[in-house]
Amino acid sequence: MVYTKKHPALLIMGIIFVAIGYLADSGGISGLIDYLKAGKYAGEMIGMGYAFGAVAVVVGLWHLAGSHEEGNLDYYMSTVAGAIFILLVAMLVRWYLAPLVALISTGLGPVMGAKYLHQVLGLNYVVLGIVAGIIIVNVFKIPEWAENGVRLSRFGLKTGVILLGTLYSLAELQSLGKLSAIMVGFFVLGSVGLVLFLGKRRNIPSSMGGVLSAGMGVCGVSASVAAAPVVQAKAVEIAYTIGTILIWGVGCMFLFPVIGHILDLGHIQFGAWAGTGILNSAQVAGAALAYQPDGIETLKVAEIFNITRVLFLPIIVLWLAVWYVKQEGGETTQKVNVGAVIFEKFPVFVLGFILMFALSSTGVFAPAQHYKGKYFDNNVKQSMLLKDDQISAVSSEMGKLQRDDRKQALKRMLDNRKVMTIDDETVIRGIYNAKVLSKDANKVLKGATKAVRHTAKKISKFRQWITLLFAFGLTGLGMQITFASMKQAGGQPLVIGGIVGTTKAVLSLIVILFFVSETI
Amino acid sequence: MTDQQHDSQDTDLQEEAGAKFHRGSALSIFHSDRAEDFIALLAAMAIALGVYIMVP
Repeated sequence: MVYTKKHPALLIMGIIFVAIGYLADSGGISGLIDYLKAGKYAGEMIGMGYAFGAVAVVVGLWHLAGSHEEGNLDYYMSTVAGAIFILLVAMLVRWYLAPLVALISTGLGPVMGAKYLHQVLGLNYVVLGIVAGIIIVNVFKIPEWAENGVRLSRFGLKTGVILLGTLYSLAELQSLGKLSAIMVGFFVLGSVGLVLFLGKRRNIPSSMGGVLSAGMGVCGVSASVAAAPVVQAKAVEIAYTIGTILIWGVGCMFLFPVIGHILDLGHIQFGAWAGTGILNSAQVAGAALAYQPDGIETLKVAEIFNITRVLFLPIIVLWLAVWYVKQEGGETTQKVNVGAVIFEKFPVFVLGFILMFALSSTGVFAPAQHYKGKYFDNNVKQSMLLKDDQISAVSSEMGKLQRDDRKQALKRMLDNRKVMTIDDETVIRGIYNAKVLSKDANKVLKGATKAVRHTAKKISKFRQWITLLFAFGLTGLGMQITFASMKQAGGQPLVIGGIVGTTKAVLSLIVILFFVSETI
Repeated sequence: MTDQQHDSQDTDLQEEAGAKFHRGSALSIFHSDRAEDFIALLAAMAIALGVYIMVP
């Protein structure tokens, strides 16, 4: 069988990519970029436009003009057409569609504290990419020349999950209290167990139950992707899991702050609850900001709880590997050899995630205490220290502050002309978020926190790669989801997700009310 | 990989249009999950090495 199709599509897509790169580089679409407020993607448009364009043009010419025979060269090189097709759709969504949606949503005004509709609904390039893929496969069908390459999407996702390990470090997670670690662990494992139990009771396929349990237990996209190969999940089951998590999260974003205010939860209590009960990171942040719009203490606790779940990923994958073999084997299978199953089934790419996490923790990519590439370092240049006029602008407004911790942090900053500790930085960010000082004073505070907060360039580059791989993988995943397969999957995942999510939210609230104080 | 496990991977594309590929599965061009994992690991390590060397 010869896979390469003599078709001009790849060449045309290459020319489109080069044209995007050229127009972004020469300023030909600067008006559009400015209108969409997509300036941060201009670098990607130029770099990726030229790079992908060059590859597509060269391979496209070869597809069109070369002679092709059955073999490895034909098999693997034929995938380039599908890969470039996914990339073109994914990048058009990321560079133009997602900013357009954000622009329209921003025009409607905030709906949840400081959050806009597209943030509440999670309508970012990831979700829009999946939707674009679903529309393409159901409305237009995948072109024959792209079919082989579309099968590369899961490979892209796996590579992305491995690189995800570079964003975290052990030092940051060590700052967690024991209770919070136990709490996160209990609810992660409990949720997985409950989904698996309910899934069996409600007769959903093991693959659906497996991937949904990882999604509901750990968090969203990464966990679903990591668990999917272990339980042989279909593309539609991964999409259902992501959809369930997002729908659940939207409801939580509105309900959690209301309940939190009724129960008068402290900032740490609410942060712990949101970080445990809500699954999608953006929605966790949305709920935390809605609860405390004038500071970031709640947000920080919620984020720490949220990311700690990622550490349970290898354990969950291991559990699901053994569970799936037992389920699929049924009663006819003799006693399962757990060691053999782990050896045969444990996905090597999850080990890769652990390897990258370990490397990142040693500090080879960024200072060891970094979190997602950001780290605190107040050894700033002389020129970055606060000037006399800036000090007087802030000190003249000290009287507007009520809280002692805010006054002390600000005093230390003014005395030393820079932010002194990571805790002070958190407090000072809370002051300017609260908008109690004038615009000029807030500008000084923002500058001071920016001076001590650094972004590791290597981690930034890893983030770009992860973004690219996830956009590629999830858009390709969408292209494997037909309406027929969605109908086949039915509404059971939503029902199970709702039961498990509610149970977790109620139980975690009870635990927080009894055991979590403001000094966790 | 057992036949039963392979069947569960015969998703969407294959279910509707019959087997289109004589290698890999409906979800992957690689002959097994383990092969796909190793190549993903190699790709990630190559990216990590590239970033480590080229980004200051």
